[in-house]
Amino acid sequence: MANPGALLDESFLHKLEVLSLVMRRPVYGQLKGAHRSRRVGSGMVFTDFRPYSAGDDIRNIDWSAYLRMDRLILKLFEEEADLPVYLFVDASRSMDFGTPGKFDCARKLAAALCYVALLSHDRVNLVSFADAAVQALPARRGKSQAPQAFRFLESIRPGGQTGLHSALRRFFSLPRTRGLVLLISDFLDPDGIEPGFALLRRLRHETAVIHVISPEEREPRLPEEVVLVDAEDGVASELDLTPSLLAAYREAFQRNEHDIEAYCRKYGWAYLQALTEVPLEHLTLKLLRQQGLLR
Amino acid sequence: MNLWALPQLALLAAVALAVVLLFLLKPSPRRLVVASTLVWRRVLRSRDRTPDRLRWWISLLLAAAIALAMALALTRPEPDAFGGAAARVVLVLDNSATLATLTSDGKMRWEHAQERARDIVRAGAAGSRYLVADTQRTIASPRFEEPEAALETLDRLRVVPGGEPVFPGVLRADGADARAVFVTDGVAAVPVPQGVEILSVFQAADNVGITAFDVRAVPRDARRHQAFVEVLNASLGAKRVELQVAGAGHAPIVRVLDIPGGAVASETLDVSAFESGPLQASVGSQYDAFAADDVAYAYLPTSKVVRVGLVTAGDSFLERSLRLLPRTQVRIVPARRMNARSGIDVWVFDRYAPARLPGVPALLFRPPPADWLPALEGDLGATAVAAWVRGHPVTEGLSLRDVFVEHALAIRAGTQTQVLATDASRRPLILASASGPRWVEVAFSLGDSNLPLQPGLPVFLSNVVDWMTGEPLALKSGPAQVRLPVTGAKVVDLQGHGVATREMLGATFAELERPGLYTAIARDRRVRVAVNVADPSVTAINASRLPPQQAVPGLQPRPWPITPWLALLLVAALLVVLEWWTYNRRLTV
Repeated sequence: MANPGALLDESFLHKLEVLSLVMRRPVYGQLKGAHRSRRVGSGMVFTDFRPYSAGDDIRNIDWSAYLRMDRLILKLFEEEADLPVYLFVDASRSMDFGTPGKFDCARKLAAALCYVALLSHDRVNLVSFADAAVQALPARRGKSQAPQAFRFLESIRPGGQTGLHSALRRFFSLPRTRGLVLLISDFLDPDGIEPGFALLRRLRHETAVIHVISPEEREPRLPEEVVLVDAEDGVASELDLTPSLLAAYREAFQRNEHDIEAYCRKYGWAYLQALTEVPLEHLTLKLLRQQGLLR
Repeated sequence: MNLWALPQLALLAAVALAVVLLFLLKPSPRRLVVASTLVWRRVLRSRDRTPDRLRWWISLLLAAAIALAMALALTRPEPDAFGGAAARVVLVLDNSATLATLTSDGKMRWEHAQERARDIVRAGAAGSRYLVADTQRTIASPRFEEPEAALETLDRLRVVPGGEPVFPGVLRADGADARAVFVTDGVAAVPVPQGVEILSVFQAADNVGITAFDVRAVPRDARRHQAFVEVLNASLGAKRVELQVAGAGHAPIVRVLDIPGGAVASETLDVSAFESGPLQASVGSQYDAFAADDVAYAYLPTSKVVRVGLVTAGDSFLERSLRLLPRTQVRIVPARRMNARSGIDVWVFDRYAPARLPGVPALLFRPPPADWLPALEGDLGATAVAAWVRGHPVTEGLSLRDVFVEHALAIRAGTQTQVLATDASRRPLILASASGPRWVEVAFSLGDSNLPLQPGLPVFLSNVVDWMTGEPLALKSGPAQVRLPVTGAKVVDLQGHGVATREMLGATFAELERPGLYTAIARDRRVRVAVNVADPSVTAINASRLPPQQAVPGLQPRPWPITPWLALLLVAALLVVLEWWTYNRRLTV
């Protein structure tokens, strides 16, 4: 039993135990797992026949076919493999805002998904990123690794700028098995999302995007005259907040949300808006299932 | 006030400095750290925003302009640009009667005169000062005023029908630097000092007016009266005039007169058919431009004959004087038959007095002692009338100067009597009583004095008879403040409307400025006053010494219809609106 620590309580972990991650395509796992893979071998699910050739496992010869056709025919089975899960948590300074906090929300979501993946014997890679700095927990497998994963998540402190593309490029600069990339971020990246997302498309990872949004970002409550200082880069913007300007901001913010979602939908990625005021259980047990990421 | 004077410049500089300091002291906006300004920056980039520094400057300029405009308004600037150099102008308006003449545009000459004067005030510089005066001296103490006050003074002025117009003595006291303008129609003969610009509002007009209206008894028949009416056609051409005399108890008398231009027509009309009371004469003609002289009033005295009973031992002066009084019928009555005699309105006792107060008024000359008369204290020797009351109806218009008396009674005046004349020792010589039937006691007989040789005797007798029979003659006056020889009187016109009065020097002064018949009601008597224009110099409205009205030389309309300080306040208000608008559009900070 994993130590839930301060992130998730035990009752919630129990509820997560019935869930597992969903992959739409066969996986490329190296080890035995619970997901369909492209390899055929000693699985449980029959896929095809082929003529026997020397060296094949004779246990898979279809003897009834041999009696009928006097030829050795081999039965092929779909091999079940584990799923490489790459769970990216945005640890930039912009995540350290909002009530409830965006980073806290992101961390809990990551913990929940990580726990679900570990239960399914998937190989979980936990990565926090800010600027070009990447802090990663090497691949873990099995429920027994949950405490380490949680400790890693608890140890992350937000800081630096959002740099999605540089973080992904750095992480995937090493050979990584194609798998499921889970991105949890507010996506307030000065360089935009396209470079990072394009990299994931090139690497042909299946991707799920969890967009963390705080209510203060959607409906800012600011004085009429204010100087807004960006927490990441320190750039100050002087505002005379008029209703028209506020409306323009709302429209731009919604457009930003819409652009990210549209990108994900275009390439068949799962997209979920994680509003920090929404309870974690609702996000995990209902919304993530609705998006087809969990079942 | 000069706009560019040092104190004004200092004030403006201080205001501008204060505004700048306030702007610099303005607290900077609150700094707020947020997760990211990425979206905000995107929005701000997409919006067309005025650069912040420029917005700050616009805001500062607007605030400074508002403050400076208000500060300038407070200093009441009067730069020459607002109407030329400041000047001192004396405006004298002729408000004599003829200024009430209508002109071809339906306005009076007086309204034109006011407009011309207003034009001068409005065309002047804002710093100019104006002294407004009038020829009828209705402004008690003219003084130099600001344009607004001068306009108000002009509005208060009005035509005064009566009185002698004179050019007020305002020029000598106020220096030679003042420009003087006299606005007149030139009809009234007003001597104008040299150097005064004369502005004419004269325009020829038609006028027919009554210049005389009087009612007199017919000399040979005191019961009949005639009215004398004189009508002047002051128009340039001939006029057909309808003259009407109206009174109570009979249809009006109407005459149609054809009067050549500038000519006078007079009519004598028998008005005996009218009842005693007011008579009104009026003239009607086409295009008459001056109404004040179209009516005239008189009072028709009663036609009743006063029967005078004379009880005398024989005094030819007295008898003859009484017989010469109009409307008087004298009867010589022996003393013993006095009580049996009836039908007497007034008794005249010469050196006689009945034992009891008679039932009708009585005039007594040196009466013997009687219970109802004041007590006697013996005889006076040679004496003379030294003083007499002038306000009493009996002594009105009477001079008793140089009346010498050889023998007179020494009378002790009672409380019910009023002493009308005394000698040098203040001993009464003539007394009157108004309690019960009126009586007048003269302490001497006519034969003991030189009164029969004085012109005052018939006046005295006439006054006594009028006072006793209540038929005083109406006074005559032009429209003016009229002195009435009564005190505590209430004055009413023919409709019973009261007229403003004031008491002064033992008389009542009434403001009788409109033609009409007025009655002053005092405690023991009534005085009637017929107020008529009846003045050929007023009716002759075309007798002007001036050409028709002309433009004021050198008079330019004022370029600014409002005063500078008001304009500045309006500018400040507009700037406030502009500032509000720009702030709401976020064009300013």
